[in-house]
Amino acid sequence: MDPQDPGGRRLMADALTGFLEAAVRTATPLAFAAMGETIAERAGVINVGLEGCVMAGAFGALVAAGAGGVGAGFATSAVAGAALAALFALCVVRLGTDQIITGTAMTLLGLGGTGALYRTWYGAGGAALSVPTAGPMAVPGLSKLPVVGPAFFSQPVVTYLAALLVPVLWWFLYRTHAGLALRAVGEAPEAARAAGVATARLRTLAVVAGGALGGLAGGTLVLAQAGTFAEGMSAGRGFVAIAIVVLGRWHPVGAALGALVFGAATALQFLIQAMGWTLPYQLFLALPYVLTLGALALARGRGRPPAALGQASG
Amino acid sequence: MSVAPPGGRRAPTLALTGILKRFGPTLALDDAGVVIRPGTVHALLGENGAGKSTLMRIAFGLLAPDAGTITLDGRPVHFASAAAALAAGLGMVQQHFSLVPAMTVAENVALGGRGRFDAARAAAVVRRIGEATGLGLDPGARVGELAVHAQQRVEIVKALARDAAVLILDEPTAVLAPAEAHEVLGWVRRFAEGGGSIVLITHKLADALAVADDLTVLRRGRVVRSAQRATWSHDALVAAMLGEVPEGPAVAPSVRPPGDEVLALEGVTYADARGVVRVEDVSASVRAGEVVGIAAVEGSGQHELLRLLAGRLAPTRGLVRRPATVGFVPEDRHRDAILLDAPLRENVALRGLGAARGRMPWEALRARTRELMARFDVRGPGPEAPARALSGGNQQKLVLARELDPPPPALVVENPTRGLDLRATDAVLGRLREARDQGLAVVFYSSDIDEVLAVSDRVLAMHDGRLVASDATRESVGRAMLGATP
Repeated sequence: MDPQDPGGRRLMADALTGFLEAAVRTATPLAFAAMGETIAERAGVINVGLEGCVMAGAFGALVAAGAGGVGAGFATSAVAGAALAALFALCVVRLGTDQIITGTAMTLLGLGGTGALYRTWYGAGGAALSVPTAGPMAVPGLSKLPVVGPAFFSQPVVTYLAALLVPVLWWFLYRTHAGLALRAVGEAPEAARAAGVATARLRTLAVVAGGALGGLAGGTLVLAQAGTFAEGMSAGRGFVAIAIVVLGRWHPVGAALGALVFGAATALQFLIQAMGWTLPYQLFLALPYVLTLGALALARGRGRPPAALGQASG
Repeated sequence: MSVAPPGGRRAPTLALTGILKRFGPTLALDDAGVVIRPGTVHALLGENGAGKSTLMRIAFGLLAPDAGTITLDGRPVHFASAAAALAAGLGMVQQHFSLVPAMTVAENVALGGRGRFDAARAAAVVRRIGEATGLGLDPGARVGELAVHAQQRVEIVKALARDAAVLILDEPTAVLAPAEAHEVLGWVRRFAEGGGSIVLITHKLADALAVADDLTVLRRGRVVRSAQRATWSHDALVAAMLGEVPEGPAVAPSVRPPGDEVLALEGVTYADARGVVRVEDVSASVRAGEVVGIAAVEGSGQHELLRLLAGRLAPTRGLVRRPATVGFVPEDRHRDAILLDAPLRENVALRGLGAARGRMPWEALRARTRELMARFDVRGPGPEAPARALSGGNQQKLVLARELDPPPPALVVENPTRGLDLRATDAVLGRLREARDQGLAVVFYSSDIDEVLAVSDRVLAMHDGRLVASDATRESVGRAMLGATP
């Protein structure tokens, strides 16, 4: 198209806005889940059951939003994710079971359990239920900015919550004694215990908080994006979030940036379509996952996981 | 210059009385007690396993006693955790440091606090304590990158930051070079003069006599004697630590004269990864058909010496001559010698596995395991049972059987009777004598000096990384390994 053509330029700006908006929208649930996993892993627990927490949150949102609206939906999604994570914490922290095996079981429980409940309560027909959704909330002034305004400042309220969570989590981890203790538990639980830290309680709390954020990720999928529930709708986001934690070097800012990169990779397909380029769409569907593998390979040897990550002693 | 506890807290009188502690069937502490007077250095001495560390871990709330009382200034206290002991003004620097290597000095010192964490304020605390006590540290340095003596400093500063007025130091000089040890002991003295109390757990008589006001000697979980420094002599300490055992024929007679030299160390020095010299200029030789016993208190370098002989460590300087295969029975059998959950035949198959190729001859190994079990009197369900199913004594017999069949030219054995009952101990020691009679060169270390004397043809006493000359008598060996001047 002719760049001098004002209509064409308008189209390109719209496509860019659409791309950025989609990137941020897709990144939101990933950011919640990745920040939640960052908390758990910093305390030394790798929660492979995060995918299950996302599903539990999604289903919780469906049930509660139908009855009590969007706000109740989000709250219930966090509670549902936290509840599944509490079960996980009970097994790995109190009973000392293997974190990977237990986490895998939690993922299967989250996927299978929500599927079974969905069919029981809403019928096996699979008719798409429609739930109330959180519409975009425009930030006065900022949303009027060209290109970035609609992309960043006309998002559902949970997106702003995710953005706010980044500095809050950073402040907690690096500026409070509880955060220091949490990081110490992930590095050297014996040393933390000798310093008077209640290591088992702290690990449990970290896992539950992480699960709540995983649940919130599921709630975001249902209430701010799909507007409905489907079995297995988490579609591997929990696992992608675990990879993002590694890429983000176990840091909340890194987790948020990593989520944005994956959001952008997913949103790329909208931009390409809008630009009218023809490429097999399967390529773009695969892109975030290819990017995960590539980024993990690149991140190898850079940054360092918490020294006691995955160890039973807590 | 004397250094007061930085919080200005006055040290209370810490008293432990009638402390009883069992670990399974063993009685670690039997009616043990000690009184730590304010403003003093109190040395706690005893052989390995005498119960020194256990007693202090109970005082610091890391272990719960089965019976007995702890009082502070006469008031009974009960510490359910280290946190409770910290709050009461006690601090403990354990032999294995409780530090977070990935964090900075300031973060380590601040760990365990509440509310907001301000890195600048935590750094100021480290600097303030450093100025008040002479224990200077860079607050921003990563602990994992610090040398051992600096890490120990972090531990002490950590305790002082919590206003510890009674500080327990478990073997503080064991990991330090002599100059660093001298510095720490000087600090210990000054801390007590400033009104704080120090409990110094140590093996080193000279250290204890140099800095302590009171000395308590423990043996086999009981207090032998607790008294002020002036009433102790070096000889009295040695006697208290070793106990009064009638002097018998110390060294077991050899069946035949020893043969050719099999193992030899020539001017061997070994420094560990941190550069601390563990074995210093040691020359020794072991001949076929003799048991050479090593007598030493913990941390004297015997751990490294045995591994140099067995080919598990390479010397920093000097020459080690040894045959291609040396049988080795390490102290921690669960960690270093057997796979607890693997069947016995797999444990037997481990010998020489690194050089083996191809299919596993399981049928032959099963038969071999059965044969070894019969010949070495290993009582267990059979070759398919996991090693975990055997008692400790039978596990040890299996390890010995594996290392001895086919017999290697030399065998190095480290504390093989640890945790075994009398029968199993006799069986294991009998095997060592048998191996000697078959012409093996055997090196044997036990933390029990009487065991060393009972089994060995010759005894080498080790102190502070060096071999010390001694007669073959119990008293002479005991004095030599404790660093007494002959």
